[in-house]
Amino acid sequence: MKKTMKTLCGILRLMLAGCVIGLALPSRVAAEVSDADFNALKETVQKLGEQVQNLQQSNIVQQQTHAQDLQQIQQLQQKLTETQQIATNAEQKSIEASMTQPMPRQPIDEATVNHNFMMMGDAEFQYAKIAGQHGAFLQADFAPIFLYRGGDNILFEAGFDTTLANNAPGSGGYTTTFNLSFAQLDYVMNDYMTFAGGELILPLGTYTERGAGWLNKIPDNPLAVDALLPGTGLGVELRGGIPVGNAGESLNYEVYVVNGPGSSDTTGTSGAAGNLDLGGNVGVLSDGSTVANLHGHPSGGARLGFFVPFKPHYDLEVGVSGQSGEWDDAGNHLWSAGVLDAALHLGASFEAKGEYIATRYGSDDIGTHYQQGWFVQAGYKLAGLDLELPLINNLEIVGRYDSLHGIYDSADNAFDFKTRRYTVGYVYYFTNTLLFEGDYEFLNSNDPSQADQFILQLSLGF
Amino acid sequence: MKTSKPLKVLVQTTFAAAVATVMLGGLASTTLFSAETNSVAAPPKTDPAPASTNSAAVNAKAPEAEQPVLKHQLTGAELYSMHCNRCHPERYPTERTAAQWKTIMLHMQVRANIPGDQARLILQYLQDNSGR
Repeated sequence: MKKTMKTLCGILRLMLAGCVIGLALPSRVAAEVSDADFNALKETVQKLGEQVQNLQQSNIVQQQTHAQDLQQIQQLQQKLTETQQIATNAEQKSIEASMTQPMPRQPIDEATVNHNFMMMGDAEFQYAKIAGQHGAFLQADFAPIFLYRGGDNILFEAGFDTTLANNAPGSGGYTTTFNLSFAQLDYVMNDYMTFAGGELILPLGTYTERGAGWLNKIPDNPLAVDALLPGTGLGVELRGGIPVGNAGESLNYEVYVVNGPGSSDTTGTSGAAGNLDLGGNVGVLSDGSTVANLHGHPSGGARLGFFVPFKPHYDLEVGVSGQSGEWDDAGNHLWSAGVLDAALHLGASFEAKGEYIATRYGSDDIGTHYQQGWFVQAGYKLAGLDLELPLINNLEIVGRYDSLHGIYDSADNAFDFKTRRYTVGYVYYFTNTLLFEGDYEFLNSNDPSQADQFILQLSLGF
Repeated sequence: MKTSKPLKVLVQTTFAAAVATVMLGGLASTTLFSAETNSVAAPPKTDPAPASTNSAAVNAKAPEAEQPVLKHQLTGAELYSMHCNRCHPERYPTERTAAQWKTIMLHMQVRANIPGDQARLILQYLQDNSGR
């Protein structure tokens, strides 16, 4: 029974489905479309399809571009992250460093410091044994030079000379003398010219500028340099060096005007009485009332030199210099000087130099006085022999001949004062600035006060 | 010190002859051996006399390649050897600081009439090798 009911229900369902399908299907007649409409619709569909395809392609390109942009952004973000990390690390290290050590002082290049003050100079002491006298420690000398550089081209330099000496017999004790050797302000105008003003070392020859203390290889100065030349003068000067070749040659010049020599007794009478005062005319008299440059006209001078280096340590320098000006108060007489100088270096071991000096000046009483002198000296460092002996290597043998002929006596056509001196000696170099010098001086003179002497000197340049 | 005149003359002659012999011998050896030297004197075989020169130091320390040069190729070290030796034993660059050398070179430029361009090269050499 139950099985029969199921079969019946199935048949009914099939019949119902058939009715529904029959009602749902449209009739063939009602769905008919023309070919033109179909073709137009087809064409429209095709166009729409093409447009969809184009849009799809465009979309693909945009997606690719977008993907590239995303990749670049990602890379930039990565770099930014790395940079931030580096900066963070550096900051951290800086903080750690600042916490662990003090901030370093900013280094200063000393060469750029625009002002500088310093001291140079030399110091000596001597032992001397003069023929006919007791030997004695003769003097102690301290000669500092102070330099103040005020910029790249301004220099003030002043040299002092402090010496100690026994007082004259009859007055006990000793006296310390303190002299201003020179004091000048230098303004370097350009590479080839310098202006100098003040108490100048006069360029009459080269010895006066290059013979101080440890520079000189013999303790004594040449006779003619001491006796005939003023040494210094108060005035102004132009000087410099001009290159004239490709191997370091240069033309050296000095032109100056100074007060010049004066008369110690204000007259123009004979120099035989010592009235010529080579160091005179430096300003106001000691009583403060009278100007010392009594003759009213300055003295002018110049030097022209030629320096020829062949190679390092091999050179020749020659020069000619002179000065002339009034010396007596009335301005009636001239004092004039002329100097020829030469210096030669042949290697680091050999040096020779010399000067010829001549002066003349008029007087009220006995006319014109002529004086002249010259010296030539040489030194040879035994290190040049290349001996395997250290003590010998530090030794230099020196020798000098110098002469001084004093006032010319026209009556017998001869110089009244004649002295010739032969000097032999040595220099032992403890260092390049600590020198132990010794020499013996043989004198031939018509002046009985002149005598042979033996001198030892310890000299330090600093 | 009172000596008879003949003895004095004999002593003088002996001294003069000895000095002349040493100097001439030294000069001859200098001249003969100078052909072996270059533009800057060669260092001696043994320790040099301290004051004879410090050209050995020049050879050892001169930074030739770093020196600005004149058109004739003279360096500061060479000019230093040429000029300083004119008047005094050469001073070692390490004896002074750079600032002191600047002051000293201004002094020497004036005193020795050294042209400005040469003085600057010498100064640079001295400062490059100065004691700091």
